[in-house]
Amino acid sequence: MAERTPERLVRLLGMVAFLDRNPGVQVEQLAAHFGVTPEQVLRDVDTLWMSGTPGYWPDDLIDFDAGSLETGVIRLTQSRGMGHALRLGTREAVALIAALRALQEAVGPALDPQQRDVMASTLEALTAATGEAAAAVDVQLSVDAAPEVLVAVAAAVGEGRRLRLRYVNAADETSVREVDPWQLVTGDEHSYLQAWCHSARGERLFRLDRVLSAEVLGAGLEHPPGPVRPTFQPADAHERVRIELDGTARWVAEQLPVDEIEELPDGGFRVSLRVASSAWLRHLLLRLAPRVRDVEPPEVAEDAAAAARRALAAYEPGASSSVAGGGLPDGRD
Amino acid sequence: MSDSLPPAERLLNLVIALVNTQGRMTKEQIRTSVAGYERAGTAEAFERMFERDKEVLRELGVPVLTVSSAAHGDDQGYRVDPDAYRLPPMELSAAQLGVLALAAEFWQGQTLRTDAARALTKLRVVGSTPSETDAVAGLSPRLHPAGPALAPLLDATHDRQAVTFTYRTASTGEVRERHVEPWRVIASRGGWYLVGHDRDRADARVFRLSRIEGAVRTTGAPGAFTVPDGVDPAHVLDDAQQQEQRTAWLAVAPDRAGALRSRAVAQEAPAAMTAPAGMDLLAVPYVRAGDLAAEVVGYTDAVVVLDPPELRESVVRRLRAAVEMGERLSGGDRG
Repeated sequence: MAERTPERLVRLLGMVAFLDRNPGVQVEQLAAHFGVTPEQVLRDVDTLWMSGTPGYWPDDLIDFDAGSLETGVIRLTQSRGMGHALRLGTREAVALIAALRALQEAVGPALDPQQRDVMASTLEALTAATGEAAAAVDVQLSVDAAPEVLVAVAAAVGEGRRLRLRYVNAADETSVREVDPWQLVTGDEHSYLQAWCHSARGERLFRLDRVLSAEVLGAGLEHPPGPVRPTFQPADAHERVRIELDGTARWVAEQLPVDEIEELPDGGFRVSLRVASSAWLRHLLLRLAPRVRDVEPPEVAEDAAAAARRALAAYEPGASSSVAGGGLPDGRD
Repeated sequence: MSDSLPPAERLLNLVIALVNTQGRMTKEQIRTSVAGYERAGTAEAFERMFERDKEVLRELGVPVLTVSSAAHGDDQGYRVDPDAYRLPPMELSAAQLGVLALAAEFWQGQTLRTDAARALTKLRVVGSTPSETDAVAGLSPRLHPAGPALAPLLDATHDRQAVTFTYRTASTGEVRERHVEPWRVIASRGGWYLVGHDRDRADARVFRLSRIEGAVRTTGAPGAFTVPDGVDPAHVLDDAQQQEQRTAWLAVAPDRAGALRSRAVAQEAPAAMTAPAGMDLLAVPYVRAGDLAAEVVGYTDAVVVLDPPELRESVVRRLRAAVEMGERLSGGDRG
C-alpha cells in the first residue's frame, strides 16, 4: 500500500533534522531508526536532494556528500534551515503521554528499578516538551491480577524464566501448568500473559485475573517468543459455526474473531466463526439468546438451551416443568 | 522537475520556502515560485490545492502563520514561525525511544494510531540510534477501540471549547442533544468516557463515548471555560461508578467459578442469606448488573444468584431466553 503523504512528509523533515544532528549515518542504520527499508531511505534522499528554496539552483537545495553516499554513508552538507525537530501536535503528545502514564500506573510496580527509571524519565522528558497537553486524556489500564501474581509474571517475563501457574479457564476448570512466558498484554478491560504452555504444547493466552497463583521456576525458556498475535487465532481445525443475529447484537461482529460477516437487508447479519471451546460457544449463545435468529449446526443452540434449563431449575426448585412458562423477555439489561 | 510532483514533495518545498522566506510569501509568489504548484492549472485549482496543503501542514504541527501587511493592501502572506516550529530542546536515549515505541503501539487499531506514529517519527530526530526496543521487553498494551468521537473530543478538551452531540441515555434509551464543556476523556474498564460540565443540567456528568451518535461538533470559541479548581475528572468518573457499585450474593458449586471466587470479598452475610446445601456462599461486588448477569449465566447451574432480586431476575430472564431460543430453533419451520 502506498504511504500516505503526511507520514512521508514528517519522515522527510525528520530525516533532515536527524542528519543535521548526526553527521554521517549508514543507510541501514537510518532505515532501522525510522522504521523503513534501505531502498526507501535512498528514495527519500533523492527527494530531499531535489528540494529546497524557490529558484532551485544548486545553492538553494538540500545537499548531501555524494562521495560519502557511494560508500553507503549519508552525510548532510546543507539543511536549508531545516535542522530542527518539528514540535508535537496536541493529539500526538496526548496519545504518547496517556499511553506512558497508563503503562507506568498499571505495570510500573512489577518492573525492575532500571525499567521503571526509563519509563519515568521518558514521561518526564515528554511532559516537559509538550506542557499541559496531556491533561485531556487519561487511560486506566486494568491489570486486575493479584499483586503477587503480577510481580511473579513480570519477573519471569523479564528474566526469561519458566512459570508454574494455577489457572482457571473459561470452561471453569482449574489446572496447574508450566509455561514459558513471552509477554504481558495489558488492556483496558483485561490483561493477559502470552506464553508457550508445556501442558497444551502450544501458544496460549492466560487472562491474568484467572491466574490463581504463579511461581517463578529455575528453568529458562525452551520455546522463545514468536511474533505477536491477536488474542485469538482461529485454526482451520476448529469447528465452524454460523450464527444469524439481529442488528442489536452488532458488537458481536466488532469484538469476536469472526471469519466472515454477511449483512442482511433488514439490519440483521450472519457471522461465521471457528470455535475452539464448546464452553466458550455455549457462553456466547447464552448471552446472545434473544438476538439469535438461527444457528448452524442446530445442536449448538440445543446444547445451550439444555444448559439454561438445568440452571433455571435452581431458581424454581421442584418446578422444572414451569420453565417454559413466562413471557419472552426483551433481553435488555 | 517531473510533470507532477508527488504531494509530499510539493509540501516539503512549501515548508522549506515558508521557513526561509524573508518576512512572508504571498499566494502569487507561492504559485509562481514553489516547486509543485506550477502545474496547478487555473487560479481556482491552485487556491483549492493551497488551502488543502495549508490544512495538512497545520494538522502536522507546522505553524503556518497568516501575515497581513498594511503596505501590501489586503493581499495576505504566509510564513512558518521558526520558534513555534521547533520541538523544545530534548535528547532521548536509545532505551527511552524504545519505551516511546511501546507507547505508540498502544494505539494499534485506534483513530489515534496515526497521531502516535507521527509523534514517534518526530521524536526519533532527537533520539539515539539504534533504539533499544527491549528496554521494557515483554509488555504489549491493547485498548478497546474508542470510535470516531475520540479525536474531536480530545481536540475540544485541549482547546477548552464546548461541544454538542447526540447522546443515547443507557437507562431510558432517550436520545437527546447534549451541550457539554469537556474536562477530560478517560478510558477505564473497557469503556471510554467523557467527563464534563453538562450545560443543560448545570452539573458534572459522565458520558460513554459509545453512546454518542453521529458527529461531535464544537460550539463557541476556544478557551471558553476552565475545569473548576478542586475538581478531579477521574474522581467524577469514580464516583459515578461507585454509586452504582453493589454486592451480589451468590451460591457457587464447590471448586467452580474460580474467576468469580477470586473477586469475592469477605463480608458478613445477612441472617436470611444461606446457600443451598453443598454450595458455597460468596459476596461479589459489581457495577454493571448486565455484565455480571451475563457472566453468571455462562456458569449455568454452577452459580445461583441469591440477591439482589434485580440481578436474580436478570439471570432468570436470560436463561429463559436461551431455553426459548432452543425451542425456536429446533422447531420444524427451519428453512
